[in-house]
Amino acid sequence: MDVTNVVVEAMPHFEGYVYPNEATLEPLWSVLIVLYPYITGLVAGAFIMASLVRVFRVKALEPVYRLSLLTAMSFMLCATLPLLIHLGHPERCYEIMMTPHLTSPMAIFGFVYAWYLMAVLLLELWFDYRLDFVRWSKTEKGFKGLLYRILTVGVTDESVGAVALDHKLSWIISIVGIPSAFLLHGYVGFIFGSIKANPWWGNVLMPIIFILSAIVSGIALCVIHYMIVSWVRRKPIDMRCLDIMGMFLFYALVVDATIETLDWVHRIYSKEEDFAVIQQMAREKLFFSLNIGQALCGTLLPLLMLGATQLARKRIPDIVRKRMYLASGMLIVLGVLAMRWNVVIGGQLFSKSLRGFMSYKMEFTGMEGLLMGGAVLALPFVIFVVMVKLFLPEKSPAQAAEAVTI
Amino acid sequence: MKQSLSRRTVLTKLGLAAVAAAAAPAVNAAKTTVQKVLVKTEAPKDYDPTQHKWQMAFDVNRCIGCGHCVEACKQENNVPIGPYYRTWIERYIVTKPEPRSAETRGEVRVDSPEGGIHGFNDVPVPEADILQSFFVPKLCNLCEHSPCVQSCPVGATFDTPDGAVLVDPKYCIGCGFCIQACPYGCRFMNPITHTAEKCTLCYHRISRGLKPACVEVCPTQARIFGDLKNPVPDDPLQEFFKKNRVQTLKPHLGTDPRVQYANIDKEVR
Amino acid sequence: MNTRFKLPPQIVRLVLLTVGIVGSYLIARAFLTPSSFGQYGWYRGDALMEAASHPRTFAGKPACTECHEEQAKQLAKFNHQSLSCEVCHGPGQAHVENFDVKLPVLTHGHCLRCHEKNPSRPHWHKQISSREHFPGDKCIECHKPHAPSEVP
Repeated sequence: MDVTNVVVEAMPHFEGYVYPNEATLEPLWSVLIVLYPYITGLVAGAFIMASLVRVFRVKALEPVYRLSLLTAMSFMLCATLPLLIHLGHPERCYEIMMTPHLTSPMAIFGFVYAWYLMAVLLLELWFDYRLDFVRWSKTEKGFKGLLYRILTVGVTDESVGAVALDHKLSWIISIVGIPSAFLLHGYVGFIFGSIKANPWWGNVLMPIIFILSAIVSGIALCVIHYMIVSWVRRKPIDMRCLDIMGMFLFYALVVDATIETLDWVHRIYSKEEDFAVIQQMAREKLFFSLNIGQALCGTLLPLLMLGATQLARKRIPDIVRKRMYLASGMLIVLGVLAMRWNVVIGGQLFSKSLRGFMSYKMEFTGMEGLLMGGAVLALPFVIFVVMVKLFLPEKSPAQAAEAVTI
Repeated sequence: MKQSLSRRTVLTKLGLAAVAAAAAPAVNAAKTTVQKVLVKTEAPKDYDPTQHKWQMAFDVNRCIGCGHCVEACKQENNVPIGPYYRTWIERYIVTKPEPRSAETRGEVRVDSPEGGIHGFNDVPVPEADILQSFFVPKLCNLCEHSPCVQSCPVGATFDTPDGAVLVDPKYCIGCGFCIQACPYGCRFMNPITHTAEKCTLCYHRISRGLKPACVEVCPTQARIFGDLKNPVPDDPLQEFFKKNRVQTLKPHLGTDPRVQYANIDKEVR
Repeated sequence: MNTRFKLPPQIVRLVLLTVGIVGSYLIARAFLTPSSFGQYGWYRGDALMEAASHPRTFAGKPACTECHEEQAKQLAKFNHQSLSCEVCHGPGQAHVENFDVKLPVLTHGHCLRCHEKNPSRPHWHKQISSREHFPGDKCIECHKPHAPSEVP
C-alpha cells in the first residue's frame, strides 16, 4: 500500500478537534451495540416480572408467568447475537471462553451470560415445564413429540413427590435468579460504566440505571406481549392481572426516572471537565433522542398515563385503561431503546479530547445498518412466536390438572 | 436397566474425555515443535524481553511539526491510509485575549490535519493574533495501568516485559473494547485486518537494537527514546530526565502513563 | 434397605448434564488454548516474537554509514549532525538489501518541510519565509544540506 501519495482523505464531518483515530466515518460501536444492552435488558426485566409471581407470590400475575419466562428466554437466545455479528473476527469468539481475561468486563460477561442462560432461565423453565413435557411427549406425534421427548431429558417421573420437587426447585432457582438477573444486566451497565476514558459512560450509577431501565422495559414488553397474545387468541384479558402489571410498571418507572434524574443532577452539579461537552450533547447532538425520545415520550408521558390509572383506576373504563397500558408499554419500550441509543451512540459522538464532536449517519444496508439492526431485533420476536406456539397452548396439561386439584 | 446402561456410557465418555484432556498438552507441545521447525521466523534470535525496559519521552519545545514521524510510522508499519494513526502531531494555537477582557488567553484551537503527516503549512489564525503556539507529538502513552490491556476480554493485548503494549493480531477478536477504553485515542480498528492496532514502539526494530521509526526520523530529537535497564554513555533519556520537569497526559485517570512530556501546556490532553 | 436415600431422577440427570457440559468445556479449553499462552502473562507468548519479525522499511543510520562513510563524516561536523540519513533520503531498507533500488531524488520542497516559517515552530529553529527569502531560487543553489552552516 502506497502511503506517501495520500492526496485526499475522506474525512467525515466533525466539529472542533477530534483525535485523528476518532475521525472515522462510523462510530466503532453502532446499531448492533445499541441492541445488545437493549435485548439483554428485556431479558432481565421479563425475568424479574416472572419472579414477581414465583418469589413474591403475586398471585394476580399468574396468567403472565410463563409468558414472561418465554419472553425472557426468546430474547436471551439472541442477546449475544449483535455482539457476535459486530466482532471483527466472529470466528475467534470462542477465545472469550477459553482464555477469559478476568480483568475485562466483557470476558466475565460470557460467564454471566452462560450462568444466567443455563443455570437460571433454562432450569427454571425446565422445572416449570417438566410435567407438561412428559405429558405432551405422550400425546404429541412427529417432530413436536420428538422435541418434547428430548426436553424431558429422559425423566418421566409424574409422581406427586417428583412434581412437588419440581416446584420447590423452581422456586429456589427463581430466588437465585433475581440477583442473577440484576447481575446480568448490571454487568452490561458495568461494561459501559467501567470505561473511565469516556465521561459519558464511566459512571458508577451506570449499572443501576441499566438495571432499572431494564426492569421497566421488560415489564412493558410483557404487557405488550400479554395483550397481543390475548388479542390474537381472542381470549379475554384478565384486567386484574393487567392492572397489577401496570402498577409494577409505574413503580419501576418512578424509581428509574428518579435515579436517571439523580445522575443528571450529579453531572450538572459536579461540573467536571467534561461538562461543557455533555451539556452540548444534551442540548444539540442528542436533543431529539434524549429530550424528546427518552425523557418526554419514554418517561414522562408513560408516567402520567400510568399514574392516572393508579389514581383513578375505578373511574377509567376497562377499554380506555387497556389502551393506556398498551400505549405506555409501547412508549416505554421505545423510550428505553432511545436510552440505549443515547448511551452507546452518544458516548461516541464526542472526542475523548473533549474538544470536538463526531457525527453519525446510520446506513440502511451493511453489517451495521438499519436493515441488519431491524433483523436482529426482529429475531427474538420470531423466536417468541415459535415458543408460544410450542410451549404456551391455550391450556397447558399441568394447569388443567392443577385447576382440578385446587 | 436403561438408566444404568446410559450411566455406563456416560461414564465411559467421561473417562475418554479425561484421557483427551490429559493428552492435550502433549499434542500442543508437539504442535509447537513442528511449528518451530517448519515456520521460518524473522525474529531476532538473541533478544530477551525481560532484559530491557524501553521508555519514550517528548520535549515539546523541540518539535517543529514537520510530520516526518507520522509519515515514517505509516510506512514502517504498513498503517492503512485514512484516519488510522499510531502516532500523530497536534498543533495548539492559543490566541491573544480580547483587549480589556481581563483574560490571560483567548481561545485555544487544536488541529491535526491528517495527523500532521504533511506538516502544518496553513496557519488558520493571523500571526498577529497568536499568543502562543506549539506542536505536541502523540503516541501510545504506554500506561503503567493500561485500561486497554485491562479491558481486553481474551488477552490479545498486553504489556510486554520490556515496556511495550502490543496487540496480538492473530488472537484479537475485534470487539473494539480496548479502543473505547483508551483515554488518549491511540488505538484504531484496522479496516483490513479487522483487529485493533496501535503503536508497538516498532517492536521489530527495538528488538534488533534500532530506534523506532518515528525516533529515527525525528530531525530535532523531540522524541527521546532509550532503554532504562541498559543506559548507554550520555544516555539522552537520562539527560532528559535530569534536565526537565515532566508531566503526563490525563493524570487524573490513574493510568500512570510511562510516556512523559516536558514543556507542555494545561490545554494538552 | 428400602429406606436408602435415592437421588431424584431429575437431579441425577441434571448433574450428569452439568458434568458433561463443564467437562466438554474443560476439554475444549485444553485443546483450544494456544500452547504459548501464559508464557509471560495473560497472552500468547509467541506474539512477542511475531511482532519482532515484522519486516522493516527504514534501515537506520548505522546501516547507511557502513557504505556512505564520507557523507556521514561530513554531516557530523555541522548542525544537521543529529539528522538520520533517512529523514531526507527516505526509507532505505530496500536499498540496503538491494543496491539497485535507488532512493528518490529530493526536491526544493523537502527543505521547506522543516524550514518554512511557521508561527507554531519553536523560535530556536531556523526558519525562512519562502516567499521573501530569494523566491524562485532552489535551496541547494546556496545551501549544502550536508554542510548547512557553509553559507556563501
